[in-house]
Amino acid sequence: MFERLLPLLLLAAPVHAAEHVAALLKAADAFRLPADSVRVETHVELYKNDALDKERLYTVYMKPGRRSLVLMKSPSEAGQKVLMLADQFWLLMPESQRPLRITASQKLLGEASTGDIATMTWSDDYDGSVKDEVDCPNPPAGLPDAPAAAKARRCLHLDLAQARSGVTYARVELYLDKATRTPVKADLYVGSGKRAKEAWYFAKPIDGQPRITTMVLTDDIQPNRRTVIRYRSIVPKTAPDEFFNPAALVRNPLTDW
Amino acid sequence: MSPRLTLSLPVLLAATAAGAVEFHAAISVAPQTVTEDRGSPYYVGPPTVDTPRRSGRNDLQLRMQEGGFNAQGILRQEVADGQRPGYHGIANQFYYDGQITPGLGWTVGKKVMPWGVGFGFKPLDVIQREDRRGINPPPLVGVPLVALERLTATDAWTVAWTRPGQGNGETDSRDSSLALHWYRLADGDDLHGVMRVSQRRRLEAGFGATHIVGDEWSVHGAALYQRRTRQRTNTLPDNGGTFATTDPMVEKTGGGGVKSVAGVQWTGDSGLSVLAEAWYDADAWRRRDWQALDALTARQRALAGFAPPAAIDGNVAWSSQAYQATNLLRENLLLRLAWDDRDGFKPYADVLFTPSDGGRVYTVAASWQGNRQRFTLGARQAGGAADSAYAQAPIRRVLWAEWQLALF
Repeated sequence: MFERLLPLLLLAAPVHAAEHVAALLKAADAFRLPADSVRVETHVELYKNDALDKERLYTVYMKPGRRSLVLMKSPSEAGQKVLMLADQFWLLMPESQRPLRITASQKLLGEASTGDIATMTWSDDYDGSVKDEVDCPNPPAGLPDAPAAAKARRCLHLDLAQARSGVTYARVELYLDKATRTPVKADLYVGSGKRAKEAWYFAKPIDGQPRITTMVLTDDIQPNRRTVIRYRSIVPKTAPDEFFNPAALVRNPLTDW
Repeated sequence: MSPRLTLSLPVLLAATAAGAVEFHAAISVAPQTVTEDRGSPYYVGPPTVDTPRRSGRNDLQLRMQEGGFNAQGILRQEVADGQRPGYHGIANQFYYDGQITPGLGWTVGKKVMPWGVGFGFKPLDVIQREDRRGINPPPLVGVPLVALERLTATDAWTVAWTRPGQGNGETDSRDSSLALHWYRLADGDDLHGVMRVSQRRRLEAGFGATHIVGDEWSVHGAALYQRRTRQRTNTLPDNGGTFATTDPMVEKTGGGGVKSVAGVQWTGDSGLSVLAEAWYDADAWRRRDWQALDALTARQRALAGFAPPAAIDGNVAWSSQAYQATNLLRENLLLRLAWDDRDGFKPYADVLFTPSDGGRVYTVAASWQGNRQRFTLGARQAGGAADSAYAQAPIRRVLWAEWQLALF
């Protein structure tokens, strides 16, 4: 009997593992994005040599189908918009009033990568496996919003590769709290295989549910730089489909949304 | 100050006090220095032409948005060596975007509306031309229009009646017209179509597309057919004269012509970016048109001592208006290298070639964006083959700077 089932079990094993990783990523995503369609108010602090260098404000609208619209609100960027439709990207500069088609590489340019702000899920973009189980890494001393004393926890160490073109990072090593599936840390790699950034995730209870409220990025390419992204509010909101048309960038103020 | 801007300022301030609007203000200081080429055949000095060596533009920019209402204006001081400062109020945009049904909207007012595809030259900018290679380009000034717009998830249609009731204008953007823009996102490609009917051009129709290849490459192209070409030319070479007593530079209307652009851009993980773009402009001069003007100017200069100096200087100054054209020659090639350090520092260098006469224009510039401040420094120099249009330009070099502070 067992001999008959063995080939079937062997065939099913990778599928089961893939389903397991997909479920883990879905669970981890829920700590960052509580609904499919949301409006996220984001405050970004850019530090250079541990001193605050720049502050930026963004309003991000997200919809299923990997659709994101980023409105830049800080004085020096006011009026700029970035639209992301899966692996396609457009930039609107207010002085031009003309949506510019940009490549995935151009999306990475700028002080705070739009991809870091407008992408808040892994399950749509990555496949991979659970590499091993390890003690959860502890954030370096002095990271803003880090818990005062991190409890010893066990983490699942996932090795993820991009499942679609146009994602911000080609590979991600993700550490999830084994007990809760809360994201703890991610190592983010660009297409060349080089680690570009290290991301730390810090949660706080919101409406009785633990949510990621802060992401801290340290930059490997420019090690003196650190980016602190705080999610000031995440509100379920379904913006109309036509707002995600590149031609609509010149038109929609979205002030009522 | 423009009455429209004067009217809009109290509205802006009242709306801001109510706290229901987005309101932004910035100041900018933009000095520049020009170096004239006194050896140029087209150089004319004072008193006929007095080009200030140093000049500047100091702006207070105001922008507000409340619901569908948008306004943008500038209070400007212009300064130049040896001249009294000038003050202007400019209403760049003042319009309302309304909605009839979801996906169907309307616009009325003065709005910036460039539609083109391209970087150095955008043939599909039929309503309004945006110059992305300009030296410290000031914010665009919109065109009065009434427009209807249909948007779906992948398509957009815009029908615009520009400068309603104004009739024939001196330039394309001042000409009343009925224009259509169509956009479609098809299989990841941006497709654009435009059509315009106006007094100056009669019919214009064009198509453009942008295609992305992988994560790093983009390819773009556009072409526009115009039923009438428009070219500002000197009438003296045609009628055999040497001197004119009134401005001999007149705009001539020609038959159908084409404007086109094609380009490719690469951007790497490092932030380095390379652009190569070629374009053709049927409104621009051919090499032989410049040769004819060069010959006329040489004849005029040769009569120094026989003809009154004012007649020579005046005629050469009139001819030098040829340098105000959008493109000096029909065929153009631009190569541009840029870098973004992801920390606000963006240097670039580009070379514009005019292959038919060997002309070159070299530009290097860099900008740095801080939390609220932005600094830009740049230099542009004309050169190339000695008898090329650019090498003979009366202005050889421009150095510029800009400091901008976003107040709120």
